Amino acid sequence: MNRIVKNRELLVLVILGVLIVVIGAISPNFLRPTTLINIVNSSLFLLLIAIGEMFVILTRGIDVSTGAMAGLAAVILGVSLNAGVPLSIAIVLTLLTGLAAGAVNAVGVTAFRVPPIIMTLGSLGVYRGLMLLITGGSWIETIPHSIKSVAAFRVAGVPALIWISLAIAVAVAFALKNLKQARYLYAVGDNEEGAFLLGIPVKATIFSAYCLSGLFAGAAAVVFVAQIGFVPMQTGSGQELKAIAAVVLGGVSLSGGVGNSMSAVVGALFLTAVDSMMIFLKVPGFWNNAVGGAILLAVVFIDYRIRCAVRDQQQRARAREMDLSTLEKNNPAAGSASVMGKAT
Amino acid sequence: MPKVDRPAGPIENATVAPPLVSLKGVWKVFESVPVLRGISFDLKAGEIHALLGGNGSGKSTTVKILCGAHKPTAGTIELNGQPQSFDRPSDAHAKGIYMVPQEPHIFSNQTVRENLLIGLAGDARAYAERCERLARELGLTCDFSTCAGELSIANQQLIEIIRGLLRNARVLIFDEPTSALTIREVKSLFGQMKKLSADGIGIFFISHRLNEVLEISDRVSVLRDGVFVLSAATATLTTNDLVAAMRPAGSAPTKASEHVRSSASRSSKPVLEVKNLSGKMFHDVSFNLFPGEVVGLAGLVGAGRTELAEAILGIDQHVSGDVAISGQAAPTRSPRVCQRLGLAYVPEDRHAHGIFLELPGAQTISASILARLGRPFLSAKREGEIVAQFVQRLGIKLSSRSQLARTLSGGNQQKAVLAKALAALPRIIILDEPTRGIDAQARQDVYRLIHDLTDQGVGVLVISSELAEIVDLSDRILVMYRGRVAEIPRSQAGIDQVSAAVFGMAGEAAA
Repeated sequence: MNRIVKNRELLVLVILGVLIVVIGAISPNFLRPTTLINIVNSSLFLLLIAIGEMFVILTRGIDVSTGAMAGLAAVILGVSLNAGVPLSIAIVLTLLTGLAAGAVNAVGVTAFRVPPIIMTLGSLGVYRGLMLLITGGSWIETIPHSIKSVAAFRVAGVPALIWISLAIAVAVAFALKNLKQARYLYAVGDNEEGAFLLGIPVKATIFSAYCLSGLFAGAAAVVFVAQIGFVPMQTGSGQELKAIAAVVLGGVSLSGGVGNSMSAVVGALFLTAVDSMMIFLKVPGFWNNAVGGAILLAVVFIDYRIRCAVRDQQQRARAREMDLSTLEKNNPAAGSASVMGKAT
Repeated sequence: MPKVDRPAGPIENATVAPPLVSLKGVWKVFESVPVLRGISFDLKAGEIHALLGGNGSGKSTTVKILCGAHKPTAGTIELNGQPQSFDRPSDAHAKGIYMVPQEPHIFSNQTVRENLLIGLAGDARAYAERCERLARELGLTCDFSTCAGELSIANQQLIEIIRGLLRNARVLIFDEPTSALTIREVKSLFGQMKKLSADGIGIFFISHRLNEVLEISDRVSVLRDGVFVLSAATATLTTNDLVAAMRPAGSAPTKASEHVRSSASRSSKPVLEVKNLSGKMFHDVSFNLFPGEVVGLAGLVGAGRTELAEAILGIDQHVSGDVAISGQAAPTRSPRVCQRLGLAYVPEDRHAHGIFLELPGAQTISASILARLGRPFLSAKREGEIVAQFVQRLGIKLSSRSQLARTLSGGNQQKAVLAKALAALPRIIILDEPTRGIDAQARQDVYRLIHDLTDQGVGVLVISSELAEIVDLSDRILVMYRGRVAEIPRSQAGIDQVSAAVFGMAGEAAA
């Protein structure tokens, strides 16, 4: 039973596979490699944001500013490239912007103890506002083509960005499994008090989670600008909620301590794939959000029922054990008398 | 240095080496209320030292100071004769003091191995072998890759013990380790404790259960009101000594004689009947409550008292057995149903479950009777009248209708919660720790109110761990111990008998 709970990524992946086959049967074009590659390619922005979001949710926090951090970082990338900054330095600046934005959240949540939802809701407003202040409200266009060449670069027929992003996801998964600091993330989300009593640096752990969230939002911004070549003012808008939905769908628990980067990958792929499927089924685009939301609710609800069933079963077993033991206690020959006898 | 006088025993001069740990003249003051008043005690290598005391005696504060969670206001901690100060629990860990908390701090989503190795300095792999050896020795037989949340509490405690030993703990503190264990598990835990002490580890054992204390410990110290009133070798002590030491020294809150008891009420039909009620923390509980009667339910924190009340109310649905309220069988209960049948509940945790802190106090009082205040719009006038009536009757210091509940004193908050329950005009009222954390005057007011209610024919069930309160208020006394309820015959319901029963020593204390 526990395996099902733990392997939510697998469950979602299987559902996704079945959906792909079904849609492929209805509309064979869907199964063409270019289509599938396009789906993965267009999921990268969400995927990277979702990985960042995952770090925060693992600590039992929440970050609703991820989309705004990505938007702000994208603006910095566009502006610096237009100002003639070399590509590599511009990318570093973008990542630093994300990191700094995340660090602001981290300071608010750890040093000033602002509840995460309030802190990041506030910074969401600030970052969106900064985007407008920097650009004066207009889109950033005519960005040098060097940035688009990043997205055009292909390895084995697949865009290099896909390889890089997936490599990052795998590296994060490896790190989460094998680094001491990663264990701290899970421990803090699982039982903060217990983590503190064991001498785990709780605040530093939470701090780094919010910083990583910002850093990944910065990386997502690089992918975004490389893929579309300009920066609209609504860049990243709404992505924070989609990222939360993706990681939850992939099996990250909002109550902390459960999940990994594969959850984010699977969730982001799933939500993006569903959008494309709707197009192939010729369903009007208005339906996308509603269907995505309904799928999320269905998966989370089923998952919740499974967890409740498991817990009830454990509790009943425990109650039976207690009952037996009490009966034993009431029979002095077998119960407390023998305890006294044995230990003294 | 003010030292608590303890009877000179063989242990006093048995050892030459300094004790593993000692507290000297430790005071702890919370918001100008002294909780510990200059306590001194120590722990020797290989000793099992039991710390006893009633609720609020300062036990848990002592333990928190030992393990670095609190800093003493005055006094010193010495380890092997060297003064120490701990800023946080990990400092105490580093010095070899580890607490196994009452509820093991387990990361329930991580594996057993991860739980064992987390937080250790250096390369975790270096510990793997020691970890397995300790697990084998302590009898933790489960697969290290299972999810720790699936383990029994007993095995989770073993994880905590191993965590302590991996940190080279020389002092282990067990905070009521047996409260969630089955008999078999207690037996095995005691075996482990004996083994650890044979290896020279010093153990503090905190428990409410006197038989366990007498069985396992080498020395017993009893705390009462922040001072040690007894500290002696276990072999020289009897149950009666412990019961006598723990008995509250203060005078009885109200004299039972002040109140004329109506004995006639017993002949009428009970207002609350509980039959064979069993749940997670209590087993096969049956009792009746008659109109105009106060039944006291005594028991320690964790004996299952609040769980029982919540089961009667239908807050916890996973129970078996029958409850009849006001003569009506109530197989499916909820707080709403209970209120309609005339049962009101004043919960133990006033802040969490009783009062609306951020709203005007008046709105807490009227919260239970909104349906009577007019529809669709609530009548401010009627609300004002009813609130004023209770403010006057209970003597609540509420200066205006807009005064926030947060700004009231504890006693007045409690009165507001009582008023909320009374406004619904109940026939039965369950009061869970009605006088916790309130001052003497408010306490008297609450007692007077309980007498008023019984005069009006209301049945009152008082749940309390203050035995003097139970003995003085109650017409009949029920004692709860480890989930079982027994009635103490009125003829022998003195405070000694009740406290013996509360600590699981029914029938053993001298009359």
